[in-house]
Amino acid sequence: MSPLASLETGLFLGLYALLAGIWGVLWALAQLRLMPIVAGSAVAACVLHVLAAVTIVLWTPLGFGWKCLIVGSSLAFLVIPPITWRLLRRTHDNERSEHDRQPSQHSRRLVVRL
Amino acid sequence: MYRAQTLALKYFAAAITFFGVMAITGLLSSYYYINPDFLFGILPFNIMKILHINTLVIWLLMGFMGSIYWFLPGELGRETVGIRAAEVLFYVFCAAVAVVAVVFIFVQYGGSNEAVLWLINQGRKYVEAPRWAALGIVVVMVVFAYNVIGTAIAARKTTGIITVLMIDLIPLILLYLIAFPAISNMSADLFWWWWLVHLWVEATWEVLIGCIMALALMQLLGTPRRIVEAWLYIEVALVLGTGILGLGHHYFWIGTPGYWLAIGGFFSALEPLPLLGMVVHAVYDAGAQHMKTTNRPALHWMMAEAFGNFIGAGVWGFMITLPQVNLYAHGTQWTVSHGHFAFWGAYACGIISVLYLVLQRTRNLAVVQGQLWKWSFAALNLGLVGMTGALLVSGFVQAFVERAIGGSTLEAFISGQENAWFVDGMVARFLLAIVFTAGYVVLVWDLVTLGRRAPAIAAVSPAQ
Repeated sequence: MSPLASLETGLFLGLYALLAGIWGVLWALAQLRLMPIVAGSAVAACVLHVLAAVTIVLWTPLGFGWKCLIVGSSLAFLVIPPITWRLLRRTHDNERSEHDRQPSQHSRRLVVRL
Repeated sequence: MYRAQTLALKYFAAAITFFGVMAITGLLSSYYYINPDFLFGILPFNIMKILHINTLVIWLLMGFMGSIYWFLPGELGRETVGIRAAEVLFYVFCAAVAVVAVVFIFVQYGGSNEAVLWLINQGRKYVEAPRWAALGIVVVMVVFAYNVIGTAIAARKTTGIITVLMIDLIPLILLYLIAFPAISNMSADLFWWWWLVHLWVEATWEVLIGCIMALALMQLLGTPRRIVEAWLYIEVALVLGTGILGLGHHYFWIGTPGYWLAIGGFFSALEPLPLLGMVVHAVYDAGAQHMKTTNRPALHWMMAEAFGNFIGAGVWGFMITLPQVNLYAHGTQWTVSHGHFAFWGAYACGIISVLYLVLQRTRNLAVVQGQLWKWSFAALNLGLVGMTGALLVSGFVQAFVERAIGGSTLEAFISGQENAWFVDGMVARFLLAIVFTAGYVVLVWDLVTLGRRAPAIAAVSPAQ
């Protein structure tokens, strides 16, 4: 790897991860605030992240295995926010409904007798 | 208030004091890069750096211990077992740290013999404390573990968070035993030394702060325990799953077999994934509460913890974690930049959040308010992010000029150090370190005067 390529690769990797984070935050915010501009920004961040991934795959001198890792990570980055959100909502909804149904048993579940 | 919670307050006071020592020694360390003659013949750079890094470890450790001592009685509904020993050891711990610091400053170094290892410096990076002090830390940690586990047994109950904590304390203690050097082969020594450094920071400490944040979340936002515990299990599993073998990124260039390049690179590259989940979780929690809370400083610091962890550990780490880039980047200011950001995001912000939470209870504040915390929050984060940015620029120059082009020769090293971008980066780092230190001063002032300068506010129930 040439000196410049190593520096560029490092920067692209950082940008790649940063855009994944921005995508995650904006996506989550878009669920909270139903504003088109937030949802649009999330999509833009997602597209930029994918572009960063494509750039790393096509333009950096990383080996084939590492490029596969980048693609795989990208897929994971893209699905983590929706999956996390769904799990969070489900857990909160379950907790709320069970709490409403059986308040007296609520605390019993919390501790495990030794 | 339980005696353990009184002890927690002492630990917090000690932690914030050592935080200050860390900030000042860090500020002075950064000045050596601008003026290499600074304190020439009086206090060399390496001693200042030792003080900076060791106080970082100590203040975070004390912050963790204070947090656990604070939450434990409420969690298990009784006084902590062995609290008398813990109280005595707190003073021993503080005195030992002070003595070690004095020895570092005034004695500094000794000959190549066993006595120096015992009395002055063990010579191992990040755990330089002499052997007697290292033994003392082991005793403190063993008693701490006894406090937690003994209390759970005496209470005849545990919770999911306390169970995770108890399991975590065992490797936390065992890994510290590696701090005692016994191997003369440098590669073998480094191999095991990284178990201590990496697995403390990216495994056991991650679990510890996960437990503390879980306990804090329940108190701060009233998040139901079942949710907090479920997410603690998921996040701990993911963090450990990627973090343990992520250890391999330290094995790239220390004489270990080549397969560590693949193992370390692969698992390290996965490390940002759970951190993204944590960020989404933080946004969810904040959104569910509409950012409404009685303790805005604690909430903001908790949010900073989630974001800082992702950016500092995840993004900054991802830049340099693949072997091809790491070949040039390791050991440069680029790595230093990552280290600063990751420690700040992953741990420091979390501890500060707990400090505000605890003060709200101890000072019976229905609402924590004021302007000072905003100034300290802004100055500390601006200073830290600015420092990491400046270090990043200097690190690029080192990786490019000194390593990649120059081939790591002495001439290339000097060429890198004299490069205008490197010099400017170090000057910017120093200036932003001043901003950070100013933020620290405001933080301390806010913590000390919180609730005392504001108008009287209705009291809340005493600490649980």
